Amino acid sequence: MTDHLTPSLLNALADGELSADQLAVANEHLASCPACTSAALYQSMLKSATERAGHRFAPPPQLEERLARMVRQESAPSKAVALHASTQPVRLLGFAGWATAFVCLLLSGSAFLFERDSHRTTIAASEYAGLVTEVCDQHVATLAANLPPQVVSSDRHTVKPWFQGKIPFSFNLPENLPSDTKLEGANLTYVRNQPAALLLYSIGKHRVSVFVRQRTSAALSYGSSAEYAGFHVARFSNDDLDVIAVSDVDPTRLSNLVSLIEQSQTGTGWPTSHR
Amino acid sequence: MTMRLPWKRSAPEPAAQISAFEQLAMPLFPSLYNVAVWLCCNPADAEDLVQETFLKALRGFSTFEPGSNFRAWIFRILRNTWLTSRSGLAAQRTIALEDELERGDELGPRQVPEGAIDRQTPELNLVRLGDQAAIRDAMEKLPSPLLEVILLCDIEEMKYREIAMVLDIPIGTVMSRIARGRRALREFLLAPEALSSEVRA
Repeated sequence: MTDHLTPSLLNALADGELSADQLAVANEHLASCPACTSAALYQSMLKSATERAGHRFAPPPQLEERLARMVRQESAPSKAVALHASTQPVRLLGFAGWATAFVCLLLSGSAFLFERDSHRTTIAASEYAGLVTEVCDQHVATLAANLPPQVVSSDRHTVKPWFQGKIPFSFNLPENLPSDTKLEGANLTYVRNQPAALLLYSIGKHRVSVFVRQRTSAALSYGSSAEYAGFHVARFSNDDLDVIAVSDVDPTRLSNLVSLIEQSQTGTGWPTSHR
Repeated sequence: MTMRLPWKRSAPEPAAQISAFEQLAMPLFPSLYNVAVWLCCNPADAEDLVQETFLKALRGFSTFEPGSNFRAWIFRILRNTWLTSRSGLAAQRTIALEDELERGDELGPRQVPEGAIDRQTPELNLVRLGDQAAIRDAMEKLPSPLLEVILLCDIEEMKYREIAMVLDIPIGTVMSRIARGRRALREFLLAPEALSSEVRA
């Protein structure tokens, strides 16, 4: 072979893109052509130098977190529906003037309302999921610590006053409990950065954590029961309180206890000053 | 009433799809970002580009055929997204015409005298010295069609066939652009400013 290697062949050689036959012919030529050998050497060195220089920009860590969060959000069906709706192509018909403007206004208004509701639902569900996760974690931590409660008493008239001055609200405790249900004591704790009363009950050999906190304007209006990591969660809200209970006991018995606590609040009104 | 919590709301199939997407896409994230900054010449725009690429890829993941080339697929999304971005549109306005780019493709490497292997040319010295600043400067001067192929070929180590898929051009065009890109790099490295930087080094 007497013709010199073309730039494309030299590049393909450096990039490992030559077929076996092409490579054999190129090697034969390089063995007898210093010019092409020099050019091939240069191409190879330039390629490796470009590779080193090209790996230049490292992504910021927060971008990776943002992408991961975005992927998770996209996996939520309600969000997916909202996004699907928002990406529907808007076909502008050939109607001129006010009719088009009116239709557009109507469509955009509907889309806004739909997306807002969907967004609110997603946020509320996420907040409730966070609340359930937090109280379940606290329940597990309480069981694992195996420490006596801050106030150890089965007497509701001892437990309730213990919270005076510790939390900015008050609550009632049920007087008559089922025979296998017992108030073990209580702790002061925090839920979602708010002070809360953690009432510790036992139902048989099962432990129950009941979190009582002040209802806020942003109180969640989600379901009364849920499950997380094998634990059952039951809750209720009234005008003043938001109560959530966690246990691995049978859901019916847990719901009974929560119902008793709810009934004990009735008629008290529970302004902060009322003890 | 028993509610279904968000972490249980996804049906198994979409959840598995999201998981598969994450497994395929996240390892490519640093490479995508690196190429994005090269193309956008701006980290902030590159972040937006990568984020939009992920969003489009995730939404279109159901159309991705399992077992086919995911890397080429997502890089193609990145490139097409960039083309419609502000920096991409600006680049398209300033690039040379294809005919112009084709000029002199088949000229041989005859700069080196026959019979002598000259290892002391300035560009060889630059490359040998690993003057990354000079090479980066030269890369920044490349028109975007040439920069793209150099990035995909040399930095991402893609095969010509993959590059053709990403850029949606024939393999022959990939080869000619690589040749032109490397020639342009060499010319930039031979330019006075590059040589002076070599002297400074």
